[in-house]
Parts: sequence; C-alpha cells; structure tokens
Amino acid sequence: MDNGTSNSASENETITLKSCDGIEFHIDARIANRYTLLNNWNGGESACIPNVNGKVLEKVLEWCEHHINDPQLNCGDDDSRRRNTIIEEWDENFLSCDQDMLFEIILAANYLEIKPLLDLGCKTVANMMKSKSPEEIRSAFNIDNDYTPEEEEQFRKENEWAEDY
Amino acid sequence: MMIPYECFFKIFNYFRNDYKNLFSCLLVNRQWCRIIVPILWSEPSRDFSDPRLIKIYLLALNVEERARLTPFKIIFPNYPRPLFDYSTFTTHVGDLYDGIKYWLDERREKDNYCTQDDESANAVYDSLVTMFLRTSKKLKYLTLNRAFNKIIFEDLCINTTITCLNFRSGYLDSKVIQRLNDIFIKNTTLSFLNLSHNQLGTGEE
Repeated sequence: MDNGTSNSASENETITLKSCDGIEFHIDARIANRYTLLNNWNGGESACIPNVNGKVLEKVLEWCEHHINDPQLNCGDDDSRRRNTIIEEWDENFLSCDQDMLFEIILAANYLEIKPLLDLGCKTVANMMKSKSPEEIRSAFNIDNDYTPEEEEQFRKENEWAEDY
Repeated sequence: MMIPYECFFKIFNYFRNDYKNLFSCLLVNRQWCRIIVPILWSEPSRDFSDPRLIKIYLLALNVEERARLTPFKIIFPNYPRPLFDYSTFTTHVGDLYDGIKYWLDERREKDNYCTQDDESANAVYDSLVTMFLRTSKKLKYLTLNRAFNKIIFEDLCINTTITCLNFRSGYLDSKVIQRLNDIFIKNTTLSFLNLSHNQLGTGEE
C-alpha cells in the first residue's frame, strides 16, 4: 500500500540506538529513515544519544513505532493541523503520563527533531492550559507569579480587551 | 516548566486566535508574557472596534502625532507608560474607524465636551495610522478607510514591510489614483493593492 512515505529500508532491518545512560534499543530501520537525526547514532556500540535517558527514549521510540506508517507531511501543508488542538485517542493515552515525563518527551522530540511528536506534546500542554485562569495555570504547572501587584494590574488593564473575546 | 523558548512559542501559537486563553497565559508570569505579547498583539483584533484597544495604541503617539489632535480638544487620559511598545508587534491593521468613534464617544461622556465628530475621528485616524507606519516593524497588512494625507502618503512610499494595502476610502478620484500609483511604484514591498469597495469619482454631487 502506498502510504506516502519514502522509506527505503525493509521491514526486517534494525538499527541500534543507545540512550545517554547506556540502555540499548534495537529499532526498525524505517523509523530512523523517517527521523534522520536518529540515524546519526546508529550503531550504538560507542555512540549514545546525549541528553535523552533510557526511560524517555523508550517512550519516544514507542511513539515512533506506533506511527511508522503515518503519511509524512510536507512543510507548509500541516498548518491547519498545527493550529487545531484535536488529539487522537491513542496519542492522548500515550501522553497521559506525569507532567515531568511529558516535558521530557517534548524536550527529546525537540532535540531529536521528531516534529510530529513535538507538535503533539505542545498541543497536549496547550490543552492543559485551555479555559483556565492565570491562577489555575500557575497551580497546574507549579509556576511562581513574579509580577508585582501593581505591574500585574497595569498589565491586566493594557490587555483587558483580549479577555472578552 | 523546563522547556525551551521555541516550545513555549509553539504552545502559545495554538492560541493565536484565542485571545481569551492568551490573556490568561500572559498573566501567569513575566517569562510567559514576553513570549505571548508579540503573538497577542500581532493581530490583536479582527475589527479593531474595541475602544480599550484603541486607547492603548493612542498611548504610542509621539509629540507631533498628539499635537495634530490639539485643535480638536481631545483630552488624553492620564496613564503610565505602557509596559510594552505594543504597536511594534502589530502585523495587521484593520478597520480602525469604529474603535476610534467608540473611544471618542467614551471620552465625550467622561470629559463632557463636544466637538465635531467626523473631523476629530479623522484626525485621530490619521495620527494612529502615522504611528503604525512609524513604529510597527512587522506591519504587513494595512486597511486605509480614508484618503491619505501627505504624511501618510510619504510614509507609505518608503515603508519596507507592508505587502498588502487595503484601500477603502469609498471613492477614487484622479488625485487618489495618481497617489496610489506613486505608492505602488516607489514602495518596494507592496505587492497587493485592494481597491474593491470603492467607486470612481469624488463622491460629490
């Protein structure tokens, strides 16, 4: 079936990746073909992926494997996808992990240039912020308010037109 | 949240047209507001009809732009210097007229003064457009609701960011057509000039 991908590797080919804490993963070569940066660490013997530990890499690769047959989007034609915040059920379950792991996945996807996973992670965080007050967002993400009360009040006034949209 | 700037930018971009959510996010902390203000103020409104928005933009007028409003006895409210130069982020300037009229109505109610409506609205309009042309470093789309004065004409000729000019003064006489032609020749970035919603002629019987 033509699924729009340009993978040239066959199904049985595998490559080896090693996380920064030394855990090895043997993955379908087609994954590395899709996300070219993964190819840089192919071989695993001495090379390992800096900044991504085994726990996170396992999740990232699980996602890649599930989406191995997704059509690849060209730059530019994914604008509407990027703008909407609808997430498929499998992806939603996949990312309903704890917040630290979610941010680790976003960091790793950013670092490894796995754009669809990065988009998905950012979308998930955006959904977590939706329809919340500033106070609720602060407490959901454990963020300190560093405005002075006067500053916050002035800032609120300067942007109040946006509140009623 | 330990994620890089570009990820934050991506996250907030999902709310690009969802001003209410952006508003909540920008009040979270200073780091977020620095990322969100450029997004929120890029296209701050579909119709610019909110007088509260016009009020903030008017705070960006410089001495000359304010001085041109003196004859109309327009009193500016006392307000501290805004926390950001909001107009510098604006890429789309739509129809400013309704917002200006609502703002003037509010001022009239508060200050209890009377002045000729259309003339003061036109003066505020010209000063605001001049301000946008002076300050907006990313201005791409500009709607003009009335024939430009000399200052706006000259600014448009040398502006290097606008790609689309939506001219909706209502009437196109030979002088306006000549000036639009000059702008189109001299301006190096303008590639789209929308003249629909206009009739040929001066509009006078």
